Amino acid sequence: MITIKGLSKRFDQQLVLDNINLEIKKGELLVILGESGSGKSVLLQHLMGLLKPDQGSIAIDGQDITKMKEWQLLKMRKNIGYLFQEGALYDFMTVFENVAFPLVEHTQLKRKDIKDKVKRVLKTVGLEEAGNKFPSELSGGMKKRAALARAIVLDSKILFCDEPTSGLDPIKSRSISFLIKKISSELHCTTVVTSHDIRNSFRIADQVILIKEGKVVGSGTPRVLQDSQDAFIQEFLS
Amino acid sequence: MKTFFSALLNFVVGTGEALFFFGDVCVHLLKGKIRWGEVLKQIYEQGVQSVIIIALTSFATGAVLALQGYVMLNRFGAKENVAQLVALSLVRELSPVFSSFIFSGKAGARIAAELGTMKVSDQVTATRTLGVDPVEFLVVPRILACFMVLPGLVVFSELIGILGGYTIGVFDANIQSSAYIHQTIRAINFVDFFSGFIKTLFFAAIIGWVCCYQGFQTKGGSLGVGQYTTKAVAFSYIMVVLFNAVLTKIILTFWG
Ligand SMILES: Nc1ncnc2c1ncn2[C@@H]1O[C@H](COP(=O)(O)OP(=O)(O)O)[C@@H](O)[C@H]1O
Ligand SMILES: [Mg+2]
Repeated sequence: MITIKGLSKRFDQQLVLDNINLEIKKGELLVILGESGSGKSVLLQHLMGLLKPDQGSIAIDGQDITKMKEWQLLKMRKNIGYLFQEGALYDFMTVFENVAFPLVEHTQLKRKDIKDKVKRVLKTVGLEEAGNKFPSELSGGMKKRAALARAIVLDSKILFCDEPTSGLDPIKSRSISFLIKKISSELHCTTVVTSHDIRNSFRIADQVILIKEGKVVGSGTPRVLQDSQDAFIQEFLS
Repeated sequence: MKTFFSALLNFVVGTGEALFFFGDVCVHLLKGKIRWGEVLKQIYEQGVQSVIIIALTSFATGAVLALQGYVMLNRFGAKENVAQLVALSLVRELSPVFSSFIFSGKAGARIAAELGTMKVSDQVTATRTLGVDPVEFLVVPRILACFMVLPGLVVFSELIGILGGYTIGVFDANIQSSAYIHQTIRAINFVDFFSGFIKTLFFAAIIGWVCCYQGFQTKGGSLGVGQYTTKAVAFSYIMVVLFNAVLTKIILTFWG
């Protein structure tokens, strides 16, 4: 479970996160919807401990991560998968080596077991043929799939995805959204996805929150939100 | 006035951050968390990249030293001393400094551009999300490789430079081959060699540090990579020049 209390963050003069309060239940798939520049990525980076807030706390399974030192965070992050908007695969490694990297770093698995595991995960994301390719040889959608494979290879119980559908055509957007949904429910992992893609978000989300200029302006299940009478919500959703 | 103070403040903060970064690298080195596989890879890349251009420069420098030295020394009737002039100039000063310049332009620029690209494409942050310290994984091996490659390149440069001098001395100035070799060996003593070599160790650390730091500071997409890489090389040059002056003074004070 993830509990966010009174989270605020300022860059220079600009208030990017403004008193965010949020509770994310175990095993739930939460989508953070908002226009670009509304603070989605910054919020997600706080959840990963990549940024420190000015105020507020974030508790993951009861531990306040805003108080942790970087070495404690490094340890904690082994249990969390993070999908970057552009994938952020190591461009000097093949897809296979990228996905194997967390296993090599953090497990005592033998070469053969690592190979099997990577193959299995690549199959899950539909990239079993692309293991020997370098990231520069992949399309945008394949990069995201490969990065997703790297994010889940340690069987993380928490998965954060930053705009998994941005820059993809509608069909690829839909398929990566459902892939995240599938992984989330098969691995029972608590999943937070940021997006400005309303259609796909509503297809996969258990809960949705809507943020605008760093404030939460609406939340609920997709159905509840759709029926909301709030003017901004209706405008954003239309 | 205001801009002057903010520039000064930026400079102080920047220097502080750079020193902190260097401290972080040292802590990792002291802890002994070193990825030797990565180090070997970097040694290979950095070494291979600079070796030909250093050979070329050194040979030409040695040859030019012999040509000019011969003319000058001939006026004093001391043309046999060309070998000493070439060897001492190379070993004490020219090879360490020239090699460091070339090294920062080749290996240093490569380091800054590689790390800068990784920074702007989130690969550095991704390393943190994967539970790995980016300094340990990306920086320490590169700096360590600089520290091992540059001294090797400098010794190589000295040998090639002496060969350049020898070529002119023997084939152009008609000094006897055995005499030239004998003069060279007699010219260089321990102090001469090490006064140059110690400087090299400093230059290696400076180039590795500055270029890794600038790489990690990079922001602003591909434009930023270009800017910060240029900055890395320029800073390396300036630091090498300044440190060379200071170190030379210190070394001469103690060792003459
Ligand atoms: N490291 C940073 N330094 C300064 N401003 C930032 C930084 N990261 C994000 N911002 C600003 O915060 C705002 C929200 O950014 P972001 O969270 O990336 O938006 P999005 O919802 O599109 O993901 C933007 O106006 C952006 O300019
Ligand atoms: Mg974003």
